[in-house]
Amino acid sequence: MKPDHEQRNSSDGNPPADGQVPGAPPVPDAVTRDAVMPDAAMPAGAVLDAVCRSVVRLSGTTAHPPSRIRMQDGQITVEVEWPDPAALSRPAPAAGAPVAAPESDAAPAGDGEALDYVRAPMVGTFYHASSPDAPPYVCVGDVVAPGQPVGVLEAMKLMSTITAEVGGRVTEVLAPNGQPVEFDQQLIALEPVDAEAGAGADPVAVREPAAVSGPSR
Amino acid sequence: MPVFSTVLIANRGEIALRVARTCREMGIRTVAVYSTADRDSAVVRFADQAVHIGAPPAKGSYLNVPAVIEAALQTGAQAIHPGYGFLSEDPDFAEICEAHDIVFIGPPPQVMQQLGDKAAARSLMAQAGLPVLPGSMDALTSPAEAKELARQVGYPVILKAVAGGGGRGMAVVRSADDLRLAYNETRAHARAVFGDDRLYLERFVDDARHIEVQVLCDRHGNAVHLGERDCSVQRRHQKLIEEAPATGLPQELREAMLTAAVHGATAVGFVGAGTFEFVVTPDDRFYLMEINCRLQVEHPVTELVTGIDIVREQITVAAGLPLSFRQSDITLRGVAVECRVNAENPDNEFSPTPGLLSEFVPPGGPFVRVDTHAYPGWPVGPDYDSLLAKAAVWAPDREQALARMDRALSEFRVSGPGVHTTLGFLRRTLAHPLFQAALHTTGLVGAMTAEESDRDGDTSKESAPVG
Repeated sequence: MKPDHEQRNSSDGNPPADGQVPGAPPVPDAVTRDAVMPDAAMPAGAVLDAVCRSVVRLSGTTAHPPSRIRMQDGQITVEVEWPDPAALSRPAPAAGAPVAAPESDAAPAGDGEALDYVRAPMVGTFYHASSPDAPPYVCVGDVVAPGQPVGVLEAMKLMSTITAEVGGRVTEVLAPNGQPVEFDQQLIALEPVDAEAGAGADPVAVREPAAVSGPSR
Repeated sequence: MPVFSTVLIANRGEIALRVARTCREMGIRTVAVYSTADRDSAVVRFADQAVHIGAPPAKGSYLNVPAVIEAALQTGAQAIHPGYGFLSEDPDFAEICEAHDIVFIGPPPQVMQQLGDKAAARSLMAQAGLPVLPGSMDALTSPAEAKELARQVGYPVILKAVAGGGGRGMAVVRSADDLRLAYNETRAHARAVFGDDRLYLERFVDDARHIEVQVLCDRHGNAVHLGERDCSVQRRHQKLIEEAPATGLPQELREAMLTAAVHGATAVGFVGAGTFEFVVTPDDRFYLMEINCRLQVEHPVTELVTGIDIVREQITVAAGLPLSFRQSDITLRGVAVECRVNAENPDNEFSPTPGLLSEFVPPGGPFVRVDTHAYPGWPVGPDYDSLLAKAAVWAPDREQALARMDRALSEFRVSGPGVHTTLGFLRRTLAHPLFQAALHTTGLVGAMTAEESDRDGDTSKESAPVG
């Protein structure tokens, strides 16, 4: 992971499974009161709810909203990234960033809620990353904060960084990489994330477990 | 094989459509660019491709050079036709086009640079031997300098923006007492509109005729004129009715103006279509006012009497081809008149009246040409000029042409909530004894407005939204 992004996981310093002896069962004692461990007895929905509560708590631990939350079901992994003010212009995601999450069988993103769009500020060529070798600024499923870079627009050989005006979760990257775009064209669709995240209120609205899964690391 | 395979039209409204039409006739693929306000415009529907380049204010769209260039690069346009207004006389834009291997359909940037500075153009043309009105040979530096110069030249004088054009950024001053205020106001206006507050001054001629000469030049040293146009019917220095040829000009005077225009064009290495605007005094003397490096709004009247498609010539000349005719091949036939139908209220100082057109039926019939982008349901927006349509007619003589124009305007149906037009005013102007007798000058509209305010019972009825 990028060193300039704070990462935590749900067990507050107790990484699940990864560092343990293969095949060793989870040790209940090691679970802090804030943490959630998978439990065969727990229905999937309850696990997810518990994970969400953890995420909400974690995301409220700093003044800035997280720039990115990644969850993995099964051997639960939760990653929360906060934007580093000094690194706002640098690409955020690490290699192996999640590809488009399968959403087909998931509840419609932002069900009933209007999507926000990052739009092209002018005619130009839209790029997903800062350079051909760099990873894309954002991927589907990422949560972006207002002001966070989400792409680059080239017009007359001038590169300008495109930032999200509002925060939200990326549900679709509409404009392909390296393609010409027109003024005001929709580039990235964002669904609103619960503004009360971190206030200890209801869990963040998340998709069904299947959709939450990112690639295993 | 067309001269260009794709041309981008960096304009809007009727002129963008007019250019696109000629392109299609030439087998050229057309690309329209549009602002958000023009997304349903006629040229967007007509063009082979359209690119959304910016927000409604022209600065974000039609004056947005990177956006226009990007649109050209994306669509593979080999040339850009700038129409009139917007970027059409911007030498920087022409240069940027060149730098991107896009042909700018207009004069070379250096020529536009020289002639775009109206004060510099005056002295340049004076050196070339063209008559110019007494006045400044450089931009003014202070109100005091303006005052001293005005004293030498004699009142009335006219203050004009060095970067001006299209009848904007000018003020007539009739006495020394008014000069300072007019200087400061015109300067502020010029700064706001043209981003350049430099002014120059020349003698103002009351009751003059505004006569202009259309020239065409290629890159092979050929330069011709396509005759003259009379554009004396103006309000606030904006033309309302234009005709070709100019009736009643002494033949010698006419010949001298045509020759002067071609000479001036050759002297600066002009390429493309240009217009030399002259003022003709009541005692039949002529002086150069300015040179426009672009297609003129009123070019249809010249096309009608010459049979030459000026846009077509602009495009072939830009592609490097020689003009397809010599001066001796050009013959003028009959009389053409054009009326500008604007969405304006003549009873309220010709203020623009934006609104949705619920009805728009242009005239038809023999020898009537209507250049317009309007249609029923078209929203006349507040962001651009108020020109709705140009109605032009041709007839063998002036009498028939005026009758035909009146007939055409009587057919024109335009209405919508809050929308007024100049239709009624145009018809009254056509019927005015001075215009009928071709004795009209630039003072006609002012005189008519004064006459009409004397008997306002009549006018309020006539100039209600024209249906």
